[in-house]
Amino acid sequence: MAADKKTFLNLASVVLLGLFLWWAQGHLDGYKIQILNLVAINIILALSLNLIYGFTGLFSLGHAGFMAIGAYVSSLLILPAAQKATIFLLEPLVWPLSVLQAPFFVAVLAGGIAAALFGFLISFPVLRLGGDYLGIATLGFAEIVRVVGNNLSGITNGALGLKGIPNYANIGWNYGWCLFTLYFIARLVNSNFGNVLKAIRDDETAARAMGIDVLRCKVVSFTIGAFFAGVGGALLASLLTTIDPKMFLFLLTFNVLMIVVAGGLGSLSGTVISGIVITVLLEWLRFVENPVTIGSLSIPGIPGMRMVLFSLALLFIILFRREGIMGMKEITWDGLACACRRKGGDDRD
Amino acid sequence: MKKFAICLALVVVLGLAGAALAEEPIRIGVYLPLTGQNAFGGQLERDGILMGNKEKPEVLGRKIEVIVVDNKSDKVEAANAVVRLIEKEKVHAILGTYGSSLAMAGGEVSEKAGIPVLGTSCTNPLVTQGKKYYFRACYIDPLQGSAAAKFAMDVLGAKQAAVLKDVAQDYSVGLSAYFKRAFEAAGGQVVSDLNYQSGDQDFTAQLTTIIGQGAEVLFIPSYFAEGAIIIKQARELGGTFHIMGADAMDNPDMITIGGKDIEGFVYSTFPYAPDMPGMSEMAKTFTENWKVQFPDKDPNANSAIGYDSYMLLVDAIERAGSTDPEAITKALAETMNWEGVTGSTTINETHDAVKPVGFKRVEGGKQVYVGSVIPEM
Repeated sequence: MAADKKTFLNLASVVLLGLFLWWAQGHLDGYKIQILNLVAINIILALSLNLIYGFTGLFSLGHAGFMAIGAYVSSLLILPAAQKATIFLLEPLVWPLSVLQAPFFVAVLAGGIAAALFGFLISFPVLRLGGDYLGIATLGFAEIVRVVGNNLSGITNGALGLKGIPNYANIGWNYGWCLFTLYFIARLVNSNFGNVLKAIRDDETAARAMGIDVLRCKVVSFTIGAFFAGVGGALLASLLTTIDPKMFLFLLTFNVLMIVVAGGLGSLSGTVISGIVITVLLEWLRFVENPVTIGSLSIPGIPGMRMVLFSLALLFIILFRREGIMGMKEITWDGLACACRRKGGDDRD
Repeated sequence: MKKFAICLALVVVLGLAGAALAEEPIRIGVYLPLTGQNAFGGQLERDGILMGNKEKPEVLGRKIEVIVVDNKSDKVEAANAVVRLIEKEKVHAILGTYGSSLAMAGGEVSEKAGIPVLGTSCTNPLVTQGKKYYFRACYIDPLQGSAAAKFAMDVLGAKQAAVLKDVAQDYSVGLSAYFKRAFEAAGGQVVSDLNYQSGDQDFTAQLTTIIGQGAEVLFIPSYFAEGAIIIKQARELGGTFHIMGADAMDNPDMITIGGKDIEGFVYSTFPYAPDMPGMSEMAKTFTENWKVQFPDKDPNANSAIGYDSYMLLVDAIERAGSTDPEAITKALAETMNWEGVTGSTTINETHDAVKPVGFKRVEGGKQVYVGSVIPEM
């Protein structure tokens, strides 16, 4: 398919998505809007982790740490000075953070940059490790961020966290950042640099033998992944309007990792599909926890039952489709055209 | 004849519509941590709420339907739960939640939707701050901290206190700060203010320091499992000081974990105990009904506050005379000297409950109610 045709189809898809979101804003209830917002944020987080783990082969468990950095930096920049004074009950917020304020876009960007900076700084010692050791080191980093968050009460308000964060993260902002993340990472992994990352993932020794500066490429990938994790954290903070260190436990990283693995390591389409399916499924499955009355028989709801079913669904994916929903494949316009042609051919037979 | 038939049809339709309207239940949403790290409190509160619903299943001539949603002790889930209750379940009012950080996430959603919420045991002052629709049936941490400080000085006669707090829990950090502030304001001295992290099992370093500082009372605003271990280790190290805790210690398992070392431990809680002297009629009824419904577990302050929250909300709906959110909000704000299981409740201008703070002491392996304090904040 010609490049200009693909560009047109891509733009048409974006316009269609925009129209759908515009319609959703006016016609869907707050509950569905909330889920749509979470879908966008989860996709951003999963895409950023897929870049690190799926495309570069770096088993990182530090995503919650980068999210926390992005969330705190962004929140401190958008919180009004009066609100800062009110919520810092134990210790006043340090200057200049106490008076500093920025527009939402700048704050989210700052959150991403701060996370990227930390990602860059820790990448040099951490990325010399491999496999499980790297996972443990990055998990350690995330825990350090959380513990520091608990103790730096003059900046983070400690365990009390931040409250009354302005709720700017609406559908427009969330999907704007989501599309930008998808576009940026798609362009990156389909470039020469992306091929280098895949080469490192598939065989690091061979990549090094071919003259690739492996550490430099890993650092760049890790830093970009950290940036988008920070952006996701910033958007989540504004969506929820309240954050505290307890929110950024390992479980948060695990939830993102689950989306990546279920979608397929090294597949952007898989990540997007998985992000939608898992976020929606987690909410939709709530009905299994409701009490059921069949005639005179009353079955009480069992709290946590949806997580059992959800775990079974994941188990099913891992057992019967180990490579995830999409494996390493992508949904492309060429692929769709081919499928349509095949379908048309089948119909004529 | 045709006109008569039309009139008859209209009467039937209007009658059926009226009946349907009268039959439409009043929906009360409940969001609590039924799984996750706060499940022990959330489950007890849910039991209290459902028992209240069993006792008072109707108001304004309409059936009350209670819809319970689990917030998994998670902020995102708490926000989702409240949105779901408002938008999907179309509730008229909400009860919950146990855990202040969860209440803050849910509170933003309910505020935007204009649906009244009555908090069960979310004690952080920030929960209701600047909120029109969020109320609570429990007292706030400054009140509890102040009451604990007053009890430490007036009843235990302590002049020197030590604080050991969980730096990872907003509840613990906030409450310890308010205790410290009140104790020092009353002329006492806090000789030691030390930290630990959730999940720690060894507290010997902190306790050795506290023993060395000569504290007369140790205040531990901990959750019951860690609190019991701290008390056990303090006694094993030879600490003879009084040990005080707060409402998160009000759990029967505390004694199981702490054993004989927990003897003499005092903690502040909601003013209710199943064997308290001078119990109100409502408290007696609650205790008897609880024992019938849950013979295998004792009621505690969490189940009592859950029950009270439900009863107070139903009372507010009754006083409002309608299910209009604004009317319920107004009725909740006007609550004065409402008598419940956990004592008399007045909702003040910041939407917080002004009520006595109860105290219990562990004596002979049992949690014995020793009295209540009405502190000045």
